[in-house]
Amino acid sequence: MSEAAAPEDLWSRVEPLLARVERPARYIDREWGAVVRPIAAYRVALMYPDAYEVGMANQALQVLAGRLSTLPGVAVERVFVPWTDMAAALRQADVPLFTLESCVPVASCDLLGVTLPYELTYTNVLEALDLARIPLRASDRREGDPLVVAGGPSVHNPEPMAPFFDAMLIGDGEDAVIELVDTHRAVTGRGGSRSEVLQALAEVSGVYVPSLYERAKGGLRPRAGAPARVRRRVVADLSAYESPICPVVPYADVVHDRVTVEVLRGCSRGCRFCQAGMVYRPVRERRADDVVRDAIASLRCTGYEEVSLTSLSTADHSQLEEVLRRLTRRLEGTGIAISVPSLRVDSFTLSLARLLGEGRKSGLTFAPEAGSQRLRDVINKNVTEDELLATTRAAFASGWRRVKLYFMLGLPTETDEDVTAIGGLVARVMQAAREATPKDERGAVRVAVSVSTFVPKAHTPFQWAGQLPTAEVLRRQRVLRDSMPRKGVEFSWHDAEVSFLEAVLARGDRRVADGIEAAWRSGAVFDAWTERFSLSRWHEAFAAVGIEPSAIAFEPFEPGATLPWAHIDSGLAEPFLLLEWERAQAGHTTPDCTFESCTGCGVCGALGADIVLAGGERHG
Amino acid sequence: MAESFTLRVCFRKTGRLRHLSHLEVARACERAARRAALPYAVSAGFTPRMRIAFGPALPVGTAGEREYLDLVLTRFLPPAEACAALASVTVEELSPVACAYVSGKERSLAAALTIAEYDVHLEGGISHEGLERRIHAFVRTGTLSVEHKGKQKVYDLAEALPKEPLVVSCEDRVLIRMAVRMSERGSLRPDVFVAAALGPEVHVAVTRTDLLIEDQGVWRRPL
Repeated sequence: MSEAAAPEDLWSRVEPLLARVERPARYIDREWGAVVRPIAAYRVALMYPDAYEVGMANQALQVLAGRLSTLPGVAVERVFVPWTDMAAALRQADVPLFTLESCVPVASCDLLGVTLPYELTYTNVLEALDLARIPLRASDRREGDPLVVAGGPSVHNPEPMAPFFDAMLIGDGEDAVIELVDTHRAVTGRGGSRSEVLQALAEVSGVYVPSLYERAKGGLRPRAGAPARVRRRVVADLSAYESPICPVVPYADVVHDRVTVEVLRGCSRGCRFCQAGMVYRPVRERRADDVVRDAIASLRCTGYEEVSLTSLSTADHSQLEEVLRRLTRRLEGTGIAISVPSLRVDSFTLSLARLLGEGRKSGLTFAPEAGSQRLRDVINKNVTEDELLATTRAAFASGWRRVKLYFMLGLPTETDEDVTAIGGLVARVMQAAREATPKDERGAVRVAVSVSTFVPKAHTPFQWAGQLPTAEVLRRQRVLRDSMPRKGVEFSWHDAEVSFLEAVLARGDRRVADGIEAAWRSGAVFDAWTERFSLSRWHEAFAAVGIEPSAIAFEPFEPGATLPWAHIDSGLAEPFLLLEWERAQAGHTTPDCTFESCTGCGVCGALGADIVLAGGERHG
Repeated sequence: MAESFTLRVCFRKTGRLRHLSHLEVARACERAARRAALPYAVSAGFTPRMRIAFGPALPVGTAGEREYLDLVLTRFLPPAEACAALASVTVEELSPVACAYVSGKERSLAAALTIAEYDVHLEGGISHEGLERRIHAFVRTGTLSVEHKGKQKVYDLAEALPKEPLVVSCEDRVLIRMAVRMSERGSLRPDVFVAAALGPEVHVAVTRTDLLIEDQGVWRRPL
């Protein structure tokens, strides 16, 4: 553990590099809300593995920073991955990666916490570790090195990144990070070694210590003291935790640059492809009073011009209309906008459209995901075409002129008929939008269509499915393009090659780590940035370490096979997931347990949690 | 039309924050006005915005000791109170220096401010010796041609530099003190001028020390 004395402040070596790099505001700290604590008994660096302007939007890190900074003697600092120009400048000048607030070496911190938001950030983690001069692999780290811990959505299949982390935290972090830090401090405080720390961490609920599991026949085998399955952490009541009121307000133009207030966590609509909808169960709403209080307090503290009410499905909140009415009233005449992302077609009502339409209009996005009712039933997207058209009419009658629709290609059982049905649906949405718009404004009507490729994810009913081979995805993209109306439609794709790599990294086991490291060594970094992505580099890297990526992405798992993530217990009962997989193939839908009766997913019982509805009951 | 009050704020952009761009500074100032709960006016229209206007942009990397913005308020607040409110919600490196009301009929800052004064610090132990002579000799060459974004721009140095630059020794550092006349066609960047006069190997740190209004040959501060 580091000394209480201040570690080296690198600023005088960092500043001369800034004249040579793009957007120096990424590296200078001193934003409103940033807290500098040069002296601390325990220093935590929290990293988002991408550039500053992407990472600053992450709410989870803000929540965790808020929780950790309440601990006595603990300093919490931000770290992002320097853009390629800055990385080159740091290497050339022999300056290690630094934290933003105190500008100290990341390697001098006691703990480096990394959120894994998405598979395509994996090489960025290795880039940051290397710039920080921390050994890439946990097995190479020594006593003085920081404890490197992962969390976030992608740890639900931890294996492809497992060798690079000392520990991985599965599930809600609010309480678990406190226990993790307390355990680390307690063991090192009594002179315990790194391996004793890891052993102690394995006993913290929700913490997975990869080095305590070894490959054996039929999966991973835990060593003594490590649990056979690591159970996901869940906080029972979100209202017990304040939303981050005074987050750091960036100078640079960042994505989602606004106040965000989490209104609910979890979604049990039960879309069968959706990992978030499975692994963040059960639904826990925050009370309207708390949401309004936190939104107003945070706007006052930050000075932002927009507040966003976030969740997996905000319009599902049982008190959303009340929240919007109260916020609209409080913000009248201020020019401050309210945005509600992640709207569902079937919960966007006329009164909601009116409420949202009163202030500054933010974007409107819906995700029908599939073009035909048959396929929407397969994926359990319980939304009908009539609902989508009615919602479109309501929105355009309330003043919206643009709507964005998300679809997915390559879903299990998809046929060409399902694909061309997307084009037909978009045409009818366009017609409904034009009809609801006054004649002289119809020229402005736009329907944006964004199409991605299905990536099978761990802990979902579709976890056994393989991804559709890329050549076939490309053929279906052509079929779709031919069926898509042109006028007023803005059409965009998610690159099929990117989705292929996502599938490899999402479905792989621990051997994939060698491929990730090889790809990074040959220059892969910022893979999520289109201009930086190169699939051929990844193919060469996989080949060099003897991995066949197509097999990992495309081959289905047999029900009953040991899955690479079998030792992670998300709380979902395997029979539930299997039954859902079977119902999908039969085209049978399953209702949402927050509106109707329990569907037996097993989460509440396994994790000791329950559905929390702020308004008592939901209206379907 | 409702009554309105134009508050002119003089502020600094210094220290680490000199690496901010003009847009970043503008956004930060708007957010500071909201945090300070100033009674700011909002424009009408589909996307209402704060009624705020800035003086000439400072480039990334250049500090400013007396920069300006005009903020329209919907009710009168004593200027000292407004300044104190802003100071309480800003970091030292980007904070108010002075506040006062100006007539709403006053020309915009961007149009009124035509003179900028700079201190150009030379880094790396350059000696004072002969510097002034070299600079003055360069000024007497008459013009400076600068390429910017693929376009060639020619500055008439007698027009762009209303005073002869001075070389000043300050503790153990040397700085060039100069005034630049700004126009709609652009204004000469002091770092570009110094690089042209002394060679590109000279590293500089630039601070804009003042922005002035030129009124019938007399220079005055806008506040």
